Parts: sequence; structure tokens; C-alpha cells
Amino acid sequence: MKNSEIEQRLRQEAKALLEQGKVDCIIGYETGSLKFTTTPLITRNKDDVERLIVSPFIVNNLSVYLTEIKGKVGIIAKGCDSRSIVNLIQDNKIAREDVVIMGIPCPGLIDLNKIELSLGKDRDELDNVTRDNDRVVITIDGKEKDFPITEVLFDNCLECEFPTPREYDVLLGEPCAPVKSEVSKKTSIKELEAMPRGERWNYWKEEFSRCIRCYACRNVCPACFCQRCFVEESEPQWVSPTPKWQDNLMFQVTRNIHVAGRCTDCGECERACPMNIPLRSLTKKMYDIVDEQFHYKAGTDKNASPLLTAYEAAEVEDFIR
Amino acid sequence: MTVTDMSQGKRFFASENVYLPHIAIIEKVIDETPGVKTFHFNFKDEKLRKEFSFKSGQFAEYSVLGVGEAPFCISSSPSRSDHLEFATQQVGKVTNALHRLGVGAEIGFRGPYGNGFPLDFLQGKNLVFVGGGIGLAPLRSLIWNAIDNRDKYENIDIIYGARSPDDLCFKYDLDTWDKDKTINIISTIDREDKSWSGRVGFVPKVLEEVAPSASNAVAIVCGPPVMIRFTFPVLIKLGFTPEQMITTLEKKMTCGIGKCGRCNIGNLYVCRDGPVFTYAQIKNFVSSEY
Amino acid sequence: MSTSKKISKKDIGKILSQWSQEFTVLVPSKEGNVSKMARWDGKDTRFMDSHRNTVHPVKANFFPPMEEMFSFQKNKEGYHIEPAPPDEHKLLIFAIRPCDANALAILDMAFKDGYEDPYYLSRRKDTVLIGLGCTNPYDSCFCTSMGGSPSDSTNVDIMLTDIGNEFLIEEISEAGKELVAKTEDLQEAKKADEAKAKKVKETSYDKVTRKIDTRDIDKKLLACFENKDYWEKVSAKCISCGICTFLCPTCYCFDINDDSFKKRGARFRSWDSCAFPVYTRMPMENPRGEKWRRVRQKVCHKFEFFPMNFGSIACVGCGRCIRLCPVNWDITQTIESVPEIT
Repeated sequence: MKNSEIEQRLRQEAKALLEQGKVDCIIGYETGSLKFTTTPLITRNKDDVERLIVSPFIVNNLSVYLTEIKGKVGIIAKGCDSRSIVNLIQDNKIAREDVVIMGIPCPGLIDLNKIELSLGKDRDELDNVTRDNDRVVITIDGKEKDFPITEVLFDNCLECEFPTPREYDVLLGEPCAPVKSEVSKKTSIKELEAMPRGERWNYWKEEFSRCIRCYACRNVCPACFCQRCFVEESEPQWVSPTPKWQDNLMFQVTRNIHVAGRCTDCGECERACPMNIPLRSLTKKMYDIVDEQFHYKAGTDKNASPLLTAYEAAEVEDFIR
Repeated sequence: MTVTDMSQGKRFFASENVYLPHIAIIEKVIDETPGVKTFHFNFKDEKLRKEFSFKSGQFAEYSVLGVGEAPFCISSSPSRSDHLEFATQQVGKVTNALHRLGVGAEIGFRGPYGNGFPLDFLQGKNLVFVGGGIGLAPLRSLIWNAIDNRDKYENIDIIYGARSPDDLCFKYDLDTWDKDKTINIISTIDREDKSWSGRVGFVPKVLEEVAPSASNAVAIVCGPPVMIRFTFPVLIKLGFTPEQMITTLEKKMTCGIGKCGRCNIGNLYVCRDGPVFTYAQIKNFVSSEY
Repeated sequence: MSTSKKISKKDIGKILSQWSQEFTVLVPSKEGNVSKMARWDGKDTRFMDSHRNTVHPVKANFFPPMEEMFSFQKNKEGYHIEPAPPDEHKLLIFAIRPCDANALAILDMAFKDGYEDPYYLSRRKDTVLIGLGCTNPYDSCFCTSMGGSPSDSTNVDIMLTDIGNEFLIEEISEAGKELVAKTEDLQEAKKADEAKAKKVKETSYDKVTRKIDTRDIDKKLLACFENKDYWEKVSAKCISCGICTFLCPTCYCFDINDDSFKKRGARFRSWDSCAFPVYTRMPMENPRGEKWRRVRQKVCHKFEFFPMNFGSIACVGCGRCIRLCPVNWDITQTIESVPEIT
């Protein structure tokens, strides 16, 4: 099914939900104010649903808004987003009956940063970017350039396990298969693990020296739903509010532990970071640990206990010596 | 409106660093209420001890070095200058650290900052003080100032309240003022209490009952934001004009000098343009952000 | 205009070397693929290949993300406080964009007003700004609506305009004039060069297509200050992160915190943001605990309060807040949608 067809169905669905009073609010995507960009559309007005769109650039994990919006919500969710919604249900942050999930099978989103890096051009200098199955065609200065999707999709999309939402009220479009491509680059976990310890320490020191503590990584994260984040605590003060690299690292490591078993590898933290810190290298490692050690995949079972709040006597505790 | 043209070639030289604290030594600690203490202190530097001056209503940034800095008004009166005082409730990191300090401990002090009370404007007027809880601290500085210059002011009315008898601050002052025939003081507590024979009721309500005349009067209000919010309408009912109503506000004030940004009410910075304001100055924003 | 000079692009390294004798020369650089103004290494001039503004605004060079204000230690005599040594470097910033230069003029006002801020002003003192006109503005840029332009030279000392293989050099300030006079390797510009520069400026101006109308914006904002519905609507998608304020060239809010270990420690200043609830949080209450109040503060500070205090809007239209926002919150859309006064 084409995006335009999905869009039509989505608009009808959203409009009906509002008209029939099944939801008070719709959260979706609309065309953004910059080239290729989409932006969250949060509305209670049924006329606005005509602006809803679906494209390879619908990057935001909209479930981040669920905890702050009052009333019943109709929300558009990609595979990873739907898992985040399930997390929120598991953690009792929202009730299943208060949310209508309009699922969208997601074949992967286009990472404009990758295109910018490989072409040496900014996104607003590109004429057109279109997805054609396993290829992405970029038009620049009137000329077309062809990329395999493995070069231009977001890393987390390349490694996505569940591109099709498993929890939904209505699924718009046919289920799609995972891309299942391994990411290989300097910041990949494999490369980092291959580094000698000292070199890896220096690597992270350098990366976290750039952090300005804008907290975009935390604020775009639906798993970071704490009313009051530990970084804002002053008694005791866990990390200094001053953005020294050690404290920046501690902030991120602690945040990563807090979202263990909640992180769905939606990639929003890394995408939002204006300082280009490869945060996903940390979160994906934790995601893998959770998978390997606990056989747990976040947001795949709304009836499961959240990983970090449940304990079974049979659990291995060989880390306590 | 456009970006203002700054004349080029203008170069700056910063000679003094306003962010460096002076060291002061705590000379006395008074337990006011559970959780509120008054600290008497003096500067370590002899010269500063002699030269330091301030106005009632001004505040300062006090620090426990290594913990942080917090703003409190100077609660003593400039008319009694052998030492300085501030009072603080134990509510956060810095105040907790301050409360752990005893006589002889060193603290950091930056200030005085802010405008202080408009003494020229207040002279020859009837003063109506309306205070709640620890909000008496800045009023106290002015009250003592007025008492020490009693002939410059007409009637002095004080309406002061707290949640319970235990929460009344500066009880030693309340007693002294109660005995002073030239002052009319009414203390109140929010709810009935066995140990309390005085008035009961929230400050705005008691103010309405006492109904001080607005004629040639200025009301000076300080207390928790919710008290301030409910006091203004009562004063208006009593005939006070926005220019006759003065308050001293509390906000998170990190720098104390109008730069760090957080304490604004509209275009005014509480630390720099206040903390003392007339209601006329802030009334557009009071319902919303104060 | 006095007779202008020009320089061949391939000679940029030569003049930067000359200037390095007297100044610490900062040029557009990349660190971890994030662009900012940083110390020139004395060789590489490939930064000239990039035609666009940096991620970090130039404010970061004068008002860094964090800085030590003073250190202290405690001994038998009590506390001893040691102020952070003043920055004695004379900075020359090469290829600063007009918007960022205008933003420094705004910061100058804020940091000079009332109590002078010694940390910012000591770095800012004696800096020379070499402006470079933009020939390829971003689609998020809107400087022409904010009284500036891609070639605005109001707040630089020397202005460069890209005329192909060369830069046209205009002396703007006295300091700029002096510097040009003692710089070798400059050629006299010809009439044709000046004509070319004029054309480049006109073309660049037209490339800024994002426009907003700021007439009476302060009055309109005052009128809709209590319009909660409006503010809730425009703030709905904001996620309250600090990107737009931290990377805004005119935002200057900060926090102050101490760090200590045993008997030593230091006080630091770091960027803070009105987008954070904790920014205004007091123990008992928070005047801007709700998101719409924080977004309102951000917009009103720039377009209403700062103009009331300084006679100038605190926005230069650099567009960083738009292009770096993770949810594409767009201040130009907000300003355009402020209700008319009825």
C-alpha cells in the first residue's frame, strides 16, 4: 500500500474517532516547516486531520506525549512507537482503553544526517528524496543519485526487529519485514567493544565532552517518564548540573540503566542530540543485554511485568558475590 | 523594531567581579520555628564590616562554599548595625547546609542586591504591614527601621499570621512590638489551636476584618505567594490604590543581578528591579505567574 | 564606501597567519562533526569550503556552556577564594555570520547592563570580528525579518563578501580599518569587484525566503499574555528540551553550581534554559511549572520583555532553533500566529 493510500485511511480513521467521540485528541504527523521535515500534530479539531501525513521522515516517537495529554487519545504508531506505548501501559502511566493505536507498518525511516554526510550537502539543498523499495533516490541539482537503503536508513531502522506494530487497534497498511542489516561504522557496538579499554574510555570522554546537557535525549524518550529526573535532585546530588564530561557520562549511563527494559530502540535520543553523540551505541548495548540476559524485549507484551520492577527467585544472581 | 546598532569600537573593561562572595562569620543562631533559623553574622574583613551599608528590603546571596548559593533578604535593620541577620527556612540543599552551621562557621555573602523599600515615599504615611510566615523577615527590617525613626511615620499597623503558634517567626519581636503603645499589632493563626488565645483566620480575612484605613496609608505585604495573591483584592476593597500597595517578592534568584534570567515577572527582574514592587508595577502578571 | 580591498581565497591562510601574531584566531571548525568557532590550527583553510553557519553560535566563545567562576579552599584561617584567571586572549573571529555578530551586540547589552559581567566582558574585550556574508542561507534563516540581512555588516569590524575566487573586503569599524591597513597581501578592489559584491548581496538577500512580520509584536504579545488557549496550542508539541535556547545566539540564561571535594572546590556557571521546569522551581511552588508558561516566557522574553528593557528584539533570525529542534517547533509560525489585538 502506498503512503498516500495509508494517509487517506488514516485521515478517515482519525476523523471518525473524533466525530464519534471515541477519542478527545489525535496525535500524528503533519508536514513540517523545513524541507522533508515532518512535525507532530496534536489536535482536538477534526478539520485538522486532513493535515495528517505518512512519509519516510516521520521520525518522532509520538508516545512521548501520552503522559501529558488529558483524555482519550488516538495515536499514530510505528513498530517501535507501539512498543513504547505498551511500555507505558505496563508501567501504569496510561490505560490501554484510553488510547486508540493506529498502527503503521514501518519499512524504515530515512536518516537525512547520513545523506548530508555522504553528499556534503545540507537537507535544504536537496531537491528530492524518495524511497523506492530497497533504494533511496536523491535528486540534487537536477541529477538523481541512487543509494541502497542500508546506507541511508537510520541505524535503528536497519536493525529493527518489529517494524510492524504488534499492539494496535487498527493497522493501516500491510505488515512489512525487518530490513535486518547489520550496522558497521565507527560508533557501532562491535567496533567499540573491539577497542582497548583505555582507548574506549578516551573515546567516550571525547564524545561526552561535547554534551551541553540540553536533555533533548531524555525529553524525546517515552521511557523517560519520571516526574522528577535524578539529575535534578539536589539532596543527594547524583550528578552535577554543570556539564563536565564525567557528569555527562554518568547522566547518560544512569539514564540508560533507568530505561533498561523500556528502551525500544526507537533511536530518538541519538537523533535529537544536537551534539552528534552516538547515544544509541549505549542504549542498543543495553537493549541487547536485556535481551540476552533476561530474554526480554521491551514493549512486546502489555501484560508482562516491567523488567526492572519484577523479580523471580530463579533469576541468576551471580553478579552478587 | 530591529536589532539595535551597537556603536563599534566600544570596548569593555570589567574591573570588579560581582560574583565573588565576601566571607562572613556566623555569630549567633536562633531557632525561630521548627525548620526556620535566624543567623546573625558579620564580615571577616574589618574594612567591609565598617563600610558595608544596605537598605531595608534588600537581599543578598548567601553561600555554603561547595554546596551552593541562595538568596535571602537581610532581616535586620540598617538602623541597628553592629551585625547583620538573615532568616531561612530549611527547604533545599543550601538551606539544609546552612542549618547545619553553627557559631563561628564561615559563609559566603554577595550583596546587597535589589531596590529595598522606598523610604522617601513611606515617610509621613500610615504603614500597614501584612505578613505571613517567614515573610515577616523583610518587613521586620523595615519595622525596626521605622521604630528607630518613629517620628518620620504616622500609624504603624502590623497584621501577621502563620499556620500555627509554633510557626510564628520572630516571637521576641512580636512581644516587644505588642508592648509598644505606638504600634498596633495583630497576630493570627490559620486554624484553632489549644495553646492560642489570639485571633484565628487567614491573613487576608483578618485584614478585611481589621480594615485599616487607606487614607494616607501604604500597605506593605510579604508572605507566601498564595497569601499575597489573596491579600491584594482585600486591599483594593479597602480602598488602597495599586500605588499604595507594596510587596516584596520571592523567586528563584540565582545571580541576584538581573542576568541569569529566571526571576522575571514580565520585563522586570525580581532581583534587580525588585524585590520590592508596587502592585501597579506587577498587576498585569500577578494572576498569572505570581 | 571608502576604497575597498580584496583577497584571493587561496591567500586566506596568509592573512590568518599574520593576524595570528597579534590575535588568537578562531575559524569555523568541526568537533565530532558539530561545527563551531575554534582556534585555527595555523594551516588548514578547508573550512572555507563550507558555506553555512555553525551549529554552535558564536556566543559559546564568550559565554561557554560551562566555566569556572572561582575556586576555593579551606585551611586553618578559613576559606580562601581564588577568582578564575581572566581570559587575556585577544580574539579574532574569522567568518562570523552577520546574524551571530548582531547577536553578540544583544548579549553585550545584557551582560553590560547594571552590574557588568566580568567573565563575558573580559573575553569580549578587544575582540575583532571578521564578518562573512552568507551566499547560501538555510531554509530556516529569517534574518531579513529581524532587521538584518545575509550581508549585514553593522556589528562586525571587517566584512567579507564572496565574489568567486576572491573576497571583497570592507572596513567597517575603526578597529577594522587599522587591521586592514597593517595587513599584507591585500589587493585593491576594482569597480567590477564592488559591482560583483553588490550583486552577490542582492541575490543573497532574496534567498532568505522565510519572512515574519514583527510590527507591534510586543503589543500583540502583551495583549495575549493571558490567552492560555493560544499558548497551550502553540506549545503542545514542545518537549521542553534546551536545544533552542542553548544554541540560540542571543539566549544568555545561566545557572550557578558548586562542586567540592574535601576542602577544595569551585563554583561553576553553566547554560540554563527557560524551557526546563526546574529553572524556576522553588521548594514550595513553581511559577512556570506548566509547559505553556515556559514557551510563553521564551517567546515573550525575546519579542516583548527584552525590547521593553533594551529597545531591541532578542532574535536575529539565525534559524538555529528551527533547524535543530527535534520536533520542528518553529518560532516564526508562533510569531505569525499571535492573535491580532481586537
